[in-house]
Amino acid sequence: MAFVKRNVRWPPVMAALLIAALFLVALDERGSGPITSLRRVAREVISPLQTGVNTVFNPVRDLFDGVLNYGQLRDRNLELTRNNEALRGKLLRERAVGSKVGELEKLLDLPTFEDATGVAARVVGGSPGNFERTVLINKGTTSGIKIGDPVVAGSGLVGKVTAVSRTVATVTLINSAGFGVGVRLENSNERGIAEGKSGESEMKLSFLTNVQVVVKKGELTFTSATEDAVFPPDIPVARVVSTQKLTGDLEPRITLKPVVNLDDLTYVKVLR
Amino acid sequence: MMTRRLRLFLLVLSLVVLQTTIATHLHVFGAIPDLLLVATVAVAYNEGPQTGSLFGFFSGLVLDLFLVSPFGLSAVSFSLTGFAIGTFQSGMAFQSRRTQVLLAALGGLIAGSIFAIVGGAVGRAGYFSLHSAQVIVVGSVWNAVVAVPIFMFVRWALMTERLRRY
Repeated sequence: MAFVKRNVRWPPVMAALLIAALFLVALDERGSGPITSLRRVAREVISPLQTGVNTVFNPVRDLFDGVLNYGQLRDRNLELTRNNEALRGKLLRERAVGSKVGELEKLLDLPTFEDATGVAARVVGGSPGNFERTVLINKGTTSGIKIGDPVVAGSGLVGKVTAVSRTVATVTLINSAGFGVGVRLENSNERGIAEGKSGESEMKLSFLTNVQVVVKKGELTFTSATEDAVFPPDIPVARVVSTQKLTGDLEPRITLKPVVNLDDLTYVKVLR
Repeated sequence: MMTRRLRLFLLVLSLVVLQTTIATHLHVFGAIPDLLLVATVAVAYNEGPQTGSLFGFFSGLVLDLFLVSPFGLSAVSFSLTGFAIGTFQSGMAFQSRRTQVLLAALGGLIAGSIFAIVGGAVGRAGYFSLHSAQVIVVGSVWNAVVAVPIFMFVRWALMTERLRRY
């Protein structure tokens, strides 16, 4: 059985294929419902096979990771132990201040990101394509996850859910090109947009409400509280790693590093 | 006896499962191999531009179901690559394993460039960038690395009943 008939005239058929594909691209860019449904069904159909392959492959991957990165793991373990001790001390010192802040928040009825309920999920894969920064998690609509839900890891913001099926969901990371997060600066509370840069793990801070603001290296940025914000307020997003203002620049060039290591995610929490 | 259409279905299904599971862990300088693209190149290599572009179109659509980039973008790049490789291959005097590896890399360069150009043209941020060029080049090397087993898999899938008896 031939895959195609031999007597097909090719340039017109090639043109028809191209037109069909470009039509689909345009349709999807306008937010087509049938394409979203088709994607969801495809993910549901294939997810048992993906689970099977991951179940077999993950122990092998973990074994290789353990053997190849033994030195790194040991150093990291030591660093984490040191950090843990330092954080214990800091926590004890801040406990007294924290109780006062909590009381004030209750009085003012301010929402915090701890208020949001969440679903813990495991990262089971990365992006299957070369032009996007996403991860696949092992929870979907059956766990109440929907498109647009914010995703956090222990110390800060990871991204948001951009595709979901019954059992898995795709999370687009905050340092993806074109991804923007409304943030406020830790010291000045000035607002801006933290955006992903193509191919880089770092982000840039732009559209500051006050371009004269003094931004310090190491300063944290948090999700800002606005009326139609995608993310709950006060989630740590990134830390300032460099700032410079060249002659002629309208605003300073501020580079941010996400507080979460987005290249090494294992568990995340989807906020609802 | 499995029909050729069923074998092609199994080929696409297996490669899409591998692409969305194991391949996602194979990042080198931000790039991973594109298994369905290599299969498209292999089909075009074995059967010419017609079958290559049709297979590229449908396998690209299947891959697009699992990406967050615009639906149809892989279909555009894969079908054009299938057509280009099939046309190029039909003028070649010698065919060897080395040719397969080189064609897989060439297919990666063609498809990656088309993907970046069309993606950038429809307004996706970061597609026109130095990083995209790096990803295209490293991805092409990855495609060359996985070419030989995928070409064998594709040959099995394309084999007609008459040929199988010999």
